Amino acid sequence: MTVSFILNGDDVSAKVRSADRLSDLLRDQFGLLGVHSDCRCGRCGRCIVFLNGRLVPSCLVPAFKARAREIVTIEGFSQTQEYRDIADGFRESGMKTCGFCDGPKAMAAAALLERKPRPVAGEILEYMSIVPCRCTDPEALVRAVQAAAESKARRLYRRADK
Amino acid sequence: MRTSDVHYPRDLASALDLLRKRPGALVMAGGTEILREQGGRGISLPPEVVCVHELPELRKAGLTERFLEIGAAATLSEILELGESALPPILAEALSLVANPAIRNLATIGGNIACRARFMDAWPALACLDAIAELRDAGGSTWMNVNRLAGEDRRPAFPEGALVTRFRIPLERWDAYALKKIGPKDYPDPETAVFAFAARVEKGILSEMRLAFAGETAFRSNAAEARMIGLGVPLSEREREAAGEAFRADAAFLPEAQALRFGSLVDAALDLLGR
Repeated sequence: MTVSFILNGDDVSAKVRSADRLSDLLRDQFGLLGVHSDCRCGRCGRCIVFLNGRLVPSCLVPAFKARAREIVTIEGFSQTQEYRDIADGFRESGMKTCGFCDGPKAMAAAALLERKPRPVAGEILEYMSIVPCRCTDPEALVRAVQAAAESKARRLYRRADK
Repeated sequence: MRTSDVHYPRDLASALDLLRKRPGALVMAGGTEILREQGGRGISLPPEVVCVHELPELRKAGLTERFLEIGAAATLSEILELGESALPPILAEALSLVANPAIRNLATIGGNIACRARFMDAWPALACLDAIAELRDAGGSTWMNVNRLAGEDRRPAFPEGALVTRFRIPLERWDAYALKKIGPKDYPDPETAVFAFAARVEKGILSEMRLAFAGETAFRSNAAEARMIGLGVPLSEREREAAGEAFRADAAFLPEAQALRFGSLVDAALDLLGR
């Protein structure tokens, strides 16, 4: 079957089988290799994408459910100001990630800051559990997300001042 | 890998018509558990799949003075976003214990209750709250207490061919509640189970009490609950011990590891009534 959807801002169509996972569709047909497909059971968080604005593990979405929806992967998200805020915050806090999880962690942080502009430690750890990579200790993760919140708030205040 | 025909009905009537014409079709909303349990690269689905995640009738939420009504295709995140003023605390806690926020953005309350392989996290809280589920099929609509979705053998007994469309949750006052999840949080395994307890006290007397436990099997501890109603609160040490024994007897069929955890959770719940 053919499904049409919006992928990183572009209208696209793809031939999919009912057996395909969305993560495999994005990698195989669109070459979006930032979407990893490791555990295929929603645990590793490395395949997360925004689906109609909500962060979801794309390995738990059948490809046919992309129909008429909007998908943003790390490739699309990394072009946004939102991503730059978070990357700035992570860098300012000195957090080091392993390279496998930095994109998904930035997406998880963005999803959290969208809902909670000033999250507390418990909320941060709950949200960042979406990407349970152990390369970063929890305290550093909390500092990094709070720095990202500051970075985003500074930009929004600057924009409001203008 | 078998290819399935995937249908996207526009409304509930079309979905029911499809299900009538295609018995055995898989109803899919979030699909998280269906995909999670398969693990590998390709997904194996039945020949017919009916997608119901966008049916407007299944996505409504409504609040009256007496109950909260939630469409079965509402995601767990959407339900949590209803907030403290609308959502009974025991249900909010149960839903927040499901996996992680990204999975809760996909998983639906209907899928959580209609899973046929095992009981999922929402069942004990909904059972304690006396929630009822509307089941629709070609023959019409039936409202069924969520308790009755556990069969005589304590296994899931979701009726074949039925589509769960909404849940109605009474908004009664509960004076004490407890909810605990055992086993891994992010994925269900044989050890995973959820324990829920709620009690209401009127003029110093225990007037209502619920205790539910769900994992691969589920039960409401009806006999032990009935024995406790009418006792004065706080419970005496003797009453607590007797109640603890009655609850443990109800749960004698559980595997040893779960029975031990169940016993300690019952003790913690009874402690709430001993204060």
